[in-house]
Amino acid sequence: MAIGKLTRELHFTEVYKKYKDEHIAIREAMCLKAQFPGFLGGIKDNDLFVGRLDLPAVGITPDEWGPTSFGYYCIEHRLLAEIEDPSLDEDYRQAVKDMLEFWREENTSTKLRRAFPEKMAKELYTDDWMNQSGISFPLYRLCGGYINFDKLMQIGIPGLYDEVERYRQNAERDGRDVKFYEGAKIALDVFVDTCLYFSNMALEMAETAKTKERAEELKLMGNTLKKITQEKPAHLWEAIQLMWLYSLVADVRNLGRMDVYLGDFYVNDLKSGVLTEDQALRYLESLWQLIADRNTRVHGRVIIGGKGRRNEENADKFALLAMEATRRVLEVEPQLSLRFYEGMNPALFEKALDVIGEGRTYPILYNDDVNIKAVEEAFGFCTEVAEQYVPFGCGEYIIDHQSFGTPSGVINLLKALEVTMHNGIDPMTGRKMGLALGRFEDFETFDDLFEAYKKQVEYFVEIMADHEELEYKIAGETAPFLYMSMLYDDCLERGKGMFSGGVRYLGGTLETYGNTNTADSLTAIKKLVYDEKVISKDRLLAALDADFEGYEDIRQLLLDAPKYGNDDDTADEMLLKVHNHVCNVVRNQKHRTNLHSYLVVIINNSANALMGHQASASADGRKSGLYMNNGNAPMSGMDKNGITAMLNSIVKPSTHIHAGAVQNMKFSREMFTTRRAELEALLKTYFQKGGAQAMITVVNRNDLERAMEEPEKYHHIFVRVGGFSARFVELGRDVQLDILHRTLY
Amino acid sequence: MEKVQGTIFDIQRFALHDGPGIRTTVFLKGCPLRCLWCHNPESQAFEPQLSFDKTKCANCFRCVAACPAGAHKIVDGKHAVDYGKCCLNAKCIEACPNRALKIIGRKQSVQEVMDVVVRDIAYYNNSGGGMTISGGEPMSQFRFTLELLKAAKDQGIHTCLDTSGYAPRELFEKVVPYTDLFLYDYKATDDNEHLRLTGVSNRLILDNLDFLYEKGARIILRCPLVKGINDTDEHLKGIAEIGRKYPNLAGIELMAYHNMGYDKYERIGRKPEMEMLPTTDEATKRSWLERLKAFGCDKAMIG
Repeated sequence: MAIGKLTRELHFTEVYKKYKDEHIAIREAMCLKAQFPGFLGGIKDNDLFVGRLDLPAVGITPDEWGPTSFGYYCIEHRLLAEIEDPSLDEDYRQAVKDMLEFWREENTSTKLRRAFPEKMAKELYTDDWMNQSGISFPLYRLCGGYINFDKLMQIGIPGLYDEVERYRQNAERDGRDVKFYEGAKIALDVFVDTCLYFSNMALEMAETAKTKERAEELKLMGNTLKKITQEKPAHLWEAIQLMWLYSLVADVRNLGRMDVYLGDFYVNDLKSGVLTEDQALRYLESLWQLIADRNTRVHGRVIIGGKGRRNEENADKFALLAMEATRRVLEVEPQLSLRFYEGMNPALFEKALDVIGEGRTYPILYNDDVNIKAVEEAFGFCTEVAEQYVPFGCGEYIIDHQSFGTPSGVINLLKALEVTMHNGIDPMTGRKMGLALGRFEDFETFDDLFEAYKKQVEYFVEIMADHEELEYKIAGETAPFLYMSMLYDDCLERGKGMFSGGVRYLGGTLETYGNTNTADSLTAIKKLVYDEKVISKDRLLAALDADFEGYEDIRQLLLDAPKYGNDDDTADEMLLKVHNHVCNVVRNQKHRTNLHSYLVVIINNSANALMGHQASASADGRKSGLYMNNGNAPMSGMDKNGITAMLNSIVKPSTHIHAGAVQNMKFSREMFTTRRAELEALLKTYFQKGGAQAMITVVNRNDLERAMEEPEKYHHIFVRVGGFSARFVELGRDVQLDILHRTLY
Repeated sequence: MEKVQGTIFDIQRFALHDGPGIRTTVFLKGCPLRCLWCHNPESQAFEPQLSFDKTKCANCFRCVAACPAGAHKIVDGKHAVDYGKCCLNAKCIEACPNRALKIIGRKQSVQEVMDVVVRDIAYYNNSGGGMTISGGEPMSQFRFTLELLKAAKDQGIHTCLDTSGYAPRELFEKVVPYTDLFLYDYKATDDNEHLRLTGVSNRLILDNLDFLYEKGARIILRCPLVKGINDTDEHLKGIAEIGRKYPNLAGIELMAYHNMGYDKYERIGRKPEMEMLPTTDEATKRSWLERLKAFGCDKAMIG
């Protein structure tokens, strides 16, 4: 075989071709064998655990490695770089070229796109949601799975082997297909080989370690890796090692209720004296650094606190340790998330505010007293199940190792309104899009306009629900995703992969954007065009089409109209209308499809900025191309009545009809230092009033402006973008401006 | 109650500096005092008035065309305002694309104000906060202030009255039952000094303080201090003396001068009563506290 940077990928491809027509479980197992341990990185100087990723350019993942890279994927630009490098061996380049041709046909996203029915293909005309204009876009990913880490900790690898074998025998006895189990067993072998490979590496490194301490650490790592292949973990460091390495091979990027599955190890080790609190903290800091270096950007969730923990007292102790680790490790991941409820040990919430007050943006706060009921209602689960809700990624809820709900589509509501007002034409591009429901001039009443907007949204929601269902179908035909399935209810029992009928609850989510801008636009149109008639329809359209150039007076009127986020009933009621409509339409898709649930998520990565680029001037006074609002927040800077008014507004939209909404708040540091009592009262009241969630950025006044001028001096400022955190200076300018313009309380 | 209207220039929610906890502060327009350092000059006149921020003006003169009273003019190619001619019809405000113009002050009924105040009751309850009436001088809109206090107490809301103390005693007597806490100003000890700095004598103010104290009202004494203007030994001794005379005061707060209100004079067409001084630095604040301690007052805090 030709030798070069992508030799491992060429090997992977050969293996895939060899097993192409085999059972998908066997094919995947053999591919995993080609992928691991080869595509894991080495041990770095300060690592106390093994597990770094060396991302393959061709491989298999349930999640995504960039747009359209999921399932069996191929990251084209990395192949092209080799093909186009004349200094490389001709045979090698040809082999890479052949590989590229092969995967262009064979990768999972190609198969998915080719399966689009006509209407879907027409309306989802491009996958490039970051640069193209459109109402809805498909995302190619199966992300946000939470495997049963607790079970893995309790039975270990030997226990998992036993389970696979037991279920295999049952299946064999009943005459059912056993290939899934055969594949699972091979995958476990691959995992064991991977552990042993790194065990040897660590032990060898120990011999040449520079210091005695490091040699001891490496020895322990080597011995631990060997031990976890033979026994279930007995100590905290063994448990962490097993969890972390398994999460990497499974490509599961959110790490579950860690205080539950590590709490007992931690407390028992302290009790028996084999571990001190300081040592435990060192382990956690090392794990936190590994999570940060994995750089999932929008995942890396670690959940602590909340109802439904079998070992609450021990878990609480671990939760406090986890928050201390977050305070110390100055990184953007893990996304530490604290669930809390009335009656929980108050030390956890206190510690959380200490850490947030230092500007860490973590933990993100989740109010169980609201969320559990909301999850029951939205998904249709009983309380016991709902208590196991876990937010993943940017903030979508699923049930820990029971349900799945990838957000594989986005809808830009503001663009839907814009296209509707232009009778089925996207004014940004002139492209025909969606439904042509009549000219704005001909909508005689506000209700006529609103009905047309609703129809437009409904049309796209149906397409997106169908897309989600299709994605699962193609994925289920492609691979069982063995590592994930082995620890997801009820795949082992059923002998099926996650998306081939294995997972207990297979749902989906749709990301909505521009919700607030849409509502504020409708408020302004209703008031100024229909009720007060101070702006004519054609003048409004002309002003919007001209991006308000020459229509400044109209823009002022629009800006002065009531805005969501000020505790203003007129504006807030419109937001509720928009919210209830889209949430319920999406939620009703479960009756049209086979999805267990299909729910809106009002989250944010940078999509509010990226999709805002493609949205023309809007009737809320927003200029063309400007970012849109973030999550369930008011439009940046439009909340002008103080934070109590803002909070009163944002608790109004029902939480019982969607799968998660993010609430960003930006506080000055002095609120946390000199006004702690009032701050605590403020948050307490917000949560009592029905606040589901809070992600809090704490910055000094004027620091963000200064950071834009002299970024090199402000590396230490962390901000919450939407569903993820970032170093402020590393963000794009428009995202920086969005955050800068958020009201600082 | 419905019929009583007040002239209000702002309602601030989540106010943290006008009494304990999270509060909503209602600012009433109009004040009989003219403190040299006043940082809310727009609160002094009783009637609504025009404000013009020239830094936002693009000199497009749309306001000139819109104004029927001739309040807006073009002088040397630039927009100038003749405040005396303003008829408050707000046509210029609608015309201005940059929001350089606004009218400060609006008439509102007690009910309208309460509609805002009650929205944050849960925050008051969790923080020990409530409603504060400030100004201007709220006692100058006595009927409105009284009705607003009553309305708040009807809802079980904690009330603060931020006052200069300059109003007839019998009016104070009427608000006492509905006021949980007075934020009571003390600006100069010497009467002539008081007259010079605020435009009025302090005799009535001190009498009212005595009256309220004897009535058992809860009072925080608030002392605006401006370095080089009223932070004399005599006045600091006077503050300490009041602390001795009224040992049950709920607190003594020193309100350090800041210059953030300075631009506001020009916006309403007035000249400041004194030159702009630097905002009080931390060392000065510390020295005030130390001097007060030396005069026997250890109760004072920076407010």
